[in-house]
Order: sequence, then C-alpha cells, then structure tokens
Amino acid sequence: MASVAEVRAAVDAALQQVTEGQAAIQAAREKLGEAQQSLAAALDGSGNDAVSAAHASLSQADQQLEECLGATLLAVEQAQTYTAML
Amino acid sequence: MSLLEELGAQLRATSDELPTGLVSAAMERLRSATELLNWVRQTSVDPMGVPQLGNATEHAEHAAAALHLAQDAIAAYLGVLGLAADAGPPQDSDRADGGREGQVAPPPRLEEPQPPPERLGPWWQDRIQKLTGEAPAGADEEGAERVRVDTGELLRRVAGSVRSGDRARLGRDLHAVHASTGLALSAVTPPVLHRLAGDLLGHEPRPEDVPRLRTAAAGRVRSLLPGTPPALVDTLLARICRAPANGDGPAHPADSAVTSSVLTGVLLARLGRDATALDAITPDAGTRRPPSTEPATPEPLGRHDADA
Repeated sequence: MASVAEVRAAVDAALQQVTEGQAAIQAAREKLGEAQQSLAAALDGSGNDAVSAAHASLSQADQQLEECLGATLLAVEQAQTYTAML
Repeated sequence: MSLLEELGAQLRATSDELPTGLVSAAMERLRSATELLNWVRQTSVDPMGVPQLGNATEHAEHAAAALHLAQDAIAAYLGVLGLAADAGPPQDSDRADGGREGQVAPPPRLEEPQPPPERLGPWWQDRIQKLTGEAPAGADEEGAERVRVDTGELLRRVAGSVRSGDRARLGRDLHAVHASTGLALSAVTPPVLHRLAGDLLGHEPRPEDVPRLRTAAAGRVRSLLPGTPPALVDTLLARICRAPANGDGPAHPADSAVTSSVLTGVLLARLGRDATALDAITPDAGTRRPPSTEPATPEPLGRHDADA
C-alpha cells in the first residue's frame, strides 16, 4: 500500500533529477557564453552568411536554455506546492 | 602554422567545445523527472509540474538543435576558407562518447526518443543491469511475475537473495518488477534499516556508529551491487545514524532504492535472521504473512566485528 512518505520520496527523487538538470543547463549556458565570445573574436570582420548563421544559432540556443531553466523553476514550484499539501 | 590554419583551429575548438553533452544530460535528467512524476500522478488531476517539465524538455531539445546548427554553420564556413578537408562537423559528443563535460555525467542512451510513462520498465531494467551487472531475463517470464510482486514482497525477495549471496538471483528479483515497485523501496526501507541497525548495534544508531556499520555491511553490499556509487552506502549509513551525509550529490533514485534494499538484506543476514523477519517491521507487511519466528533479541554488533 502506498503511503504519503512513498509519494513524497518519489517526488523528491524527481526533483533531484530536475536539480541536476538545472545544474547542467547553467553549466551549458556558461560554456555557450564563452563560445560566443570566442567566435565573435575570431570572426570579427566577416560578413559571410555562415558566420551570421552560427551567431544566430548560438543566440537561439542560449535563449532556449534560459526558457528551459525558467520552465524547470515553475515545475519545481508546482511539485513542491503539491507535496507541501500532503 | 599559417594564420588561416590558426583561425581554422580556433573555430574547430570553439565548435568542439559547444555544450551539446551538457544539454543532452539536462534533457535526460528532465525526462527521468517527468517519468517519475508521471508515475506518481497517474490518477491525480494535479499536474505536479509535469507540463512545465515537458516545456523545459522541449526548450532543451530546441537548444540542442540550435547548437548542432551552429556547428554545421562553422563547418560550412571552414569550407569557405578552404579548410573543409579536415573540418567536417565536429563529432557530436553525445553520439560519440556520451558527453565530455564530465561534471554531469550523461546517462546511457541519451539519444533515445522520450519514453512514455509505460516505458518506465526498460529504464529500470537498464539501471538494475548497471548496478548488479546482471542482464535481464527473457521478457515472457518476467511479465507474469511483475503482476504479482509488491514492494514488501520485493524487499523480502531481495533479502533472501542477499542472505544466500546469490547476485544472479538478486538481479532477477530486481529485474522482474515494475520500476514503480522498485522505486518504492526508497520509502519502505528507511524505518526498517533504522530498526535493524539498532538491533545490530544494541542501541539506537548514533552518528559515531557509522564506521561500525560500514565495517559490518559495506563490503557485502558492494560485492552484490558492484555498480553502486561508492559514496551511496556511506550516505545511507549516515542517514540511518542521523549523521550528516558527505555524498557527492543526489544519487540516482533507482540506486538509492536498490542499495537500501540490499543494505536491509545485509543487516538482516548479520543479525542471523531470514527474510520473514521483515514481516514484523516492514510498514505494509504483517497482513499477508505470519508473524516472524526469528529471535527478537539479536546479539549486538561487536565494536570490531569483521565484515561478513
């Protein structure tokens, strides 16, 4: 028979996974920022379409990661609200 | 090295260092979390954050795709520079080596499509294989077993396998259940472990008892679960003794559940009890089993008791 402790343990386990995911996302954003700086320095002065595409893709990746992080924060809040009511 | 070669090398390095592995690791963690929450909320109308996790996973997937596009664009530009011969798109760390960032180790099979809730089984089986080193048996014989086994029964089976020292049987027991049944071991075992540790020590477990319990149990747990993270047993023992844990971070939920159950079996064996003794102390047991006939007062653990 399931218990409140069991439900809480499972939700806590899920939140641990989310926390690890958030750490990975934050680390990815830091690396991405470094890559953007490195690319900007190396390709300064280029007007090639491929260069513009690379810059745009990196910006988009960063924006998606930011939104990803925001969504995980909402998810954690909602899960914690639920377990607080148990 | 010419200026052009230097520029090419710099671009390749930048492309190689894009955090594709980290993003994949994040996606895998979010998927695992979604699976767990989906299992918890199967019959609940409360979303429990699952839709938000779905959005988060989708954003991470888009980020991964954008990173690959950036790598393709850099490769194309290297081609424009005339460096195309050795400048193909960098090997995707996810596909090549499972990620190289190291700080957040990506779990296996990162590129699999997101499994729906009913595919929790393979996820569990994979983890059990990693922990025990035992491959799952044929699907047909497992199917019938999974219908019947609940968490209390699983704990008894694990304890029986531990007592006999049969790792293959332990692997079969764990492979044969649904992930939800196995994960629930995390909720069932803490009071049992605390009680057994107290019986073994002859008093309520205290922080200073961690080394004695480690000597008594850790070696046997690791021999039965060669894939369990080394720090996890210490973390579990610290919890039993209400001591601060010094683990390297949160363990995989399956690792905690399985290692807790095996530790339960080891402590039982050290007390000279068999699996039926769990009936008296497991929270949901007792109604399906006759009372234990095991001795109620075990011999306390000696201060220099050797590992079993």
